[in-house]
Amino acid sequence: MSERKVNKTARQNTGENRTGNRRIRKIKFTGAAGFVFTFFVAVTVLVPILWLLVSSFKTDTGVIKFPPRFFPEEWTLHQYLYVGESIPIFQMTRNTVVFAGGVTVVSLLFDSMAGYAFARMRFRGSKLLFSIILLTMMVPFQIIMTPLYIEVYKLNLLDTYLGLILPRATSAFGIYMMSSFFEGLPKSLEESGRIDGMSEFRIYRSIMLPLCKPALVSLGIFHFMNNWNDLLYPLMLTSSQSRRTLSAGLAVLVGNKVIKYGPTLAATMISLTPLLVLYIFCQKYFVEGIAVSGMKE
Amino acid sequence: MGKSRKSFRNRKSKYAAHNQKSAYLFLLPSMLILSVFIFVPLAASLLISITDMNIFMKDVSFVGLKNFTRLFADRRVGNATFNSLYFTLLEVPLQIGLALLLTMCLAKNNRYCKLLRSVYYLPFVCSMTAIGIVWSMLLDPNMGLIAYWLKQAGFQTVSFLKNPDLAMPTVIAVTAWKGFGYTLTLLAAAVLNISQSLYEAAEMDGAGGLQKFVHITVPGIWPTISFCIVTTTIGAMQMFDQAYVMTQGGPLNRTETVVQYIYDRGFQTAPNDLGYASAISVYLFLIVAFLTFVLKRFILGRGEDTDE
Repeated sequence: MSERKVNKTARQNTGENRTGNRRIRKIKFTGAAGFVFTFFVAVTVLVPILWLLVSSFKTDTGVIKFPPRFFPEEWTLHQYLYVGESIPIFQMTRNTVVFAGGVTVVSLLFDSMAGYAFARMRFRGSKLLFSIILLTMMVPFQIIMTPLYIEVYKLNLLDTYLGLILPRATSAFGIYMMSSFFEGLPKSLEESGRIDGMSEFRIYRSIMLPLCKPALVSLGIFHFMNNWNDLLYPLMLTSSQSRRTLSAGLAVLVGNKVIKYGPTLAATMISLTPLLVLYIFCQKYFVEGIAVSGMKE
Repeated sequence: MGKSRKSFRNRKSKYAAHNQKSAYLFLLPSMLILSVFIFVPLAASLLISITDMNIFMKDVSFVGLKNFTRLFADRRVGNATFNSLYFTLLEVPLQIGLALLLTMCLAKNNRYCKLLRSVYYLPFVCSMTAIGIVWSMLLDPNMGLIAYWLKQAGFQTVSFLKNPDLAMPTVIAVTAWKGFGYTLTLLAAAVLNISQSLYEAAEMDGAGGLQKFVHITVPGIWPTISFCIVTTTIGAMQMFDQAYVMTQGGPLNRTETVVQYIYDRGFQTAPNDLGYASAISVYLFLIVAFLTFVLKRFILGRGEDTDE
């Protein structure tokens, strides 16, 4: 092993060995091609996002100017100041925050409770129940869409926050993720709690839950992002403009072609900003959530 | 001795019973919600699909398999099925192929690779609504910046989203643009997980770059690749958002997918034929289940072969 290392460094130092030289050149070449390729892809990813950002500072004429320019000739806050006049952006943002935030908070509680029970408690039927829950992960939303709509309608919850949040208040994926996290924690923890005579809920609440903060953050971000961006579900369960989320409301308004381009750009930027900011600061957790979903199989 | 043991066992079973009770209490909220909003709708979906229920939900009667026979005669169902399959068949290989290619360049933990990997993930964080709006504007033949650049580069001015032949490929490209960063993140994590000693051993045996890729990297990340293929396919068959925002199913229904047609029949167009919409969703579910089964059989089977 060490001999090989010495050999290698010697080769690099002298550079006389022909095969070694060729190999280095080859690596450099593929490296350069890879660099150009990856860089080009990064540019195609960034251009539309940056275009949206800078274009939301254009004037009305700047937006539809021909030939089009990337940067505004005249920077203005006009679109942001008056976006509320053409799009009910404040109402939509509030709805989205309540919907995505509400689902996240409630489902973190319910998912972790159920996950804790499956991972740490023995009860009759636990294996059967857990496999049934795993199976529901494979049920596509479309097949339950129509009956779900009828249920929410019969419960008189159409077009309400509760009607949006309740059906999403727990998820098979969340239960699965939390239970696999709880399973990894040492058994001695809750035993010490039991010796102290703590109730099962207090053990969960004050010993176990604080330990799974990373998993909770990852799952929370996963839920928050999915619901913030979701389209079909809020579109179906809301009918009035005053309950539309950003994603559903914008899709409808833009689809009807009733708003000008300028306010659309500003509203779109507003709808993206919270998640983008969250992504920049909590990148690790965004990726961890999906890494777990990748292990699902 | 025997007495104390008995009482111990007693206490233990008492504790177990107590433990059982609290376990059920812990599960109660989740089970209630899953039952009401997943299990019941699942069963109801099958039931509704054999009725003529509409949005008013009055005078509902069973019609047997009429909705299903009607479905097979419906041209728009055939068209939508074709579109969904067309979308899936092109989008999945494009997204995963691109991600795989980029993974090969970026599966290192230096600063440049890390930075680019997080840049690629950006579109995945954004909603399809926002991305659809942005790309529709950029590709608009009259004012779109990218349409203009393409024209400057010598391409014909075309209306990407209004041309019946180009609309679906454009939607596919935008979808892959949004999703490849997600696939790449999963693949890169899998590549970085492969033990470095395998590569060193292969180098000692004189293996080249391509050989190492084929014999170490691909088998090493095959479970992740097959996971990506299966989940991306399931997602692609349920495509809705992209077409809803960018083309509204047009031009000439050329981008109308099955989910979009379900939504249109059930919730958009009078008389909101919920029975028929349910029947189509059962039909879609069967297609997706079949595809998943075939893919798992085929791809996972191959994975086991390469392991041996």
